[in-house]
Amino acid sequence: MNAVTSDGRAVEPAAATTQAFAGKYLTFVLDAEEYAVSVLKVREIIKVMDITTVPQLPSYVKGVINLRGKVIPVVDLRLKFGMAAKDYSERTCIIVVDVAVKSGGAVLMGVVVDSVSDVMNISADELAEPPDFGEVADGNCVQALAKIKGTVKILLNLDSMLGADEELVRV
Amino acid sequence: MADPDLAALEADPELATIFLSETFDHLSSLEASVLTLEASPEDRKALNDVFRPFHTIKAGAGALGLASVEELAHRVENLLDRARFGEHRIRAAEIELILASVDLLTGMMRDVEGRLAGHDGSDFHDRCAVLITALDHLSEAAPADQEFSPAPHAYDAQESPQGGRRIGLEGGSSQATVKVDTRKLDSLVDLVGELAIVQSMIHEDPHVLGKTDERLNRNLAQLHRITSELQRGSIAMRLVPIRQTFQRMSRLVRDLSQKSGKALDLVVSGEDTELDRKVVEEISDPLMHMLRNSVDHGIEDADTRRRAGKPPQGRLSLTAYHEGGNVVIAVADDGSGLDTERIHRKAVAQKLVEPGTALSESEIHALIFRPGFSTASELTEISGRGIGMDVVRRNVETLRGRIEIRSSPDVGATFLIKLPLTLATIEGLLLSVGAQRFVLPTFVVRESLRPAPDRTHFIPGQGWVVQVREELLPLVRLADLFRIPAAVTNPDEAVVIVLEDHPRHMALMVDQLLGKQEIVIKSLGEALVNIAGVAGGAILADGRISLILDARGLMRLKHREAPSYAA
Repeated sequence: MNAVTSDGRAVEPAAATTQAFAGKYLTFVLDAEEYAVSVLKVREIIKVMDITTVPQLPSYVKGVINLRGKVIPVVDLRLKFGMAAKDYSERTCIIVVDVAVKSGGAVLMGVVVDSVSDVMNISADELAEPPDFGEVADGNCVQALAKIKGTVKILLNLDSMLGADEELVRV
Repeated sequence: MADPDLAALEADPELATIFLSETFDHLSSLEASVLTLEASPEDRKALNDVFRPFHTIKAGAGALGLASVEELAHRVENLLDRARFGEHRIRAAEIELILASVDLLTGMMRDVEGRLAGHDGSDFHDRCAVLITALDHLSEAAPADQEFSPAPHAYDAQESPQGGRRIGLEGGSSQATVKVDTRKLDSLVDLVGELAIVQSMIHEDPHVLGKTDERLNRNLAQLHRITSELQRGSIAMRLVPIRQTFQRMSRLVRDLSQKSGKALDLVVSGEDTELDRKVVEEISDPLMHMLRNSVDHGIEDADTRRRAGKPPQGRLSLTAYHEGGNVVIAVADDGSGLDTERIHRKAVAQKLVEPGTALSESEIHALIFRPGFSTASELTEISGRGIGMDVVRRNVETLRGRIEIRSSPDVGATFLIKLPLTLATIEGLLLSVGAQRFVLPTFVVRESLRPAPDRTHFIPGQGWVVQVREELLPLVRLADLFRIPAAVTNPDEAVVIVLEDHPRHMALMVDQLLGKQEIVIKSLGEALVNIAGVAGGAILADGRISLILDARGLMRLKHREAPSYAA
């Protein structure tokens, strides 16, 4: 995969950008793809539990759960990515993550994924910048791609994906 | 920040917090003390009660390098000191200046607080200088009156007249107290609330319920007892007496009396009644507004009062007491009472009610809480600032309280504010719609019923209505508002809950009532604020979250939805 954007915008050498993303990642599966989020963002992984539906929210926000006395919102990544909904199973997990919001702080959010795979080190030389699709919605979701043993893992930027709409409420 | 006077405070934020909070405490207690002194200017104790806080503030400000605060406090202290030694007499002018100094010092300290938090400061120099000049002028110009020469033995035992005066510790009874950051306290109360929920989850766990082991049951009972005591104790820690708020009202009434030219008396009782700290803080504005209202609309002028055979002095009273699980604050006046005819006329003129509608007395009284309602013929300095009783009512409702009115012509009006003892828990009605459960705070529920088949009607373009006795109420289906699948659609099989007027009565259709429960209110978090119709979440005994409904929000949502006949 090419690390230089096709429209000739000034880009730093791939190594410099990707260097910043090297580190420990939690990988998980959605449909047929494998994704990764930085372990620094992950607070814990829990089994799917009862989710209380909250009205007037975008459909990908499943509702709220009780995380040991804290009420936190839960987002279904399949729906967020426009994939078909899938019934929750034994393998379905909620990854609890810290999402930085625009106002400065961080909020806890749950992210529903099909299954959690592994925690792995991803080094800079395995990383490549995502290909440029031009101006697309949610274009900042992906921070890099990792090519490991012939597979591709998609490194997600949860802050820009979920933190951008700090208020999930559709007004 | 480059404020030289803040250097010491910035260097030690903890010291700054303590100093600020103590100074604010002193300033607010000062208001009441000054008023006591005004009532009995020759009372030694009253004089000392005013003197001491000024001295403490001066010393503290001096040590921390707040030169202008120190200077002003020092000048007032000087004046008071002269009075203590019989060299000066406290009269109206002195009281006026002392009160002005309290106000200015409060302003200056708020400014310091603001600047420490990184806000821009204001310049108090000129106002300070004016006040200091006036104080000095007064100190020099007014020698002691001949007849005013207190004997040396009248001094406080705490002071030795020969030179080295000691400033006594405040208050006689030395109950040891600790100042705690309220955030720490709140998080403790939260944790205890969670503990109580987990405790009840264990208690109701089917695995545990089936056990007959005596020791386990004994231990569980013990756990239950300790948890509830802990919860009571932690809630009690948030309770503070309403005294300070009432003290501020004394000052307000004094100022109102001067501005309106009406002689007023404020009788305060039940100042020791304790309420949640937040309620005590936030009830202040509504109380002020209600007192202004009473002075403006309730208390008649002296002539009218004399003709009615009342004492010329208008009498206001502020009372706090417990009633049931609530705390009641009563704001009463002995004025003309609510003029129902005039209110009705005004409401018609302001198009709040249709002309010719027959309204009961209590319905007319309720009109004054409608937004946009005002009977003041002309704006006065006292009330009529554009905020009305609707704001008062909204503030009270935010604190989960409600207001009742008792009024009789020529005898006076009483406004009763009923508030919950604590904001940590509420009593909720648990209900279900489809597979979802919700909690409705019981204080918004008037009644619940199962409507007879001929009692519900669909009005095209308007929506469903239900007839409850003689009243036709809009019937809102929660399932429609929140788009809940698999809910009961036939009103005959549903339960209808009539909500208290918010601002109009409304009926809510749900599937089932599941019972009453004490619940801890949780916010849904920053990501989920402002969901119409939802006030928060409650964690139920089974560990699941149920949403708490917000009656006002439901009403607004209803107006957004197009009515539909079909379910």
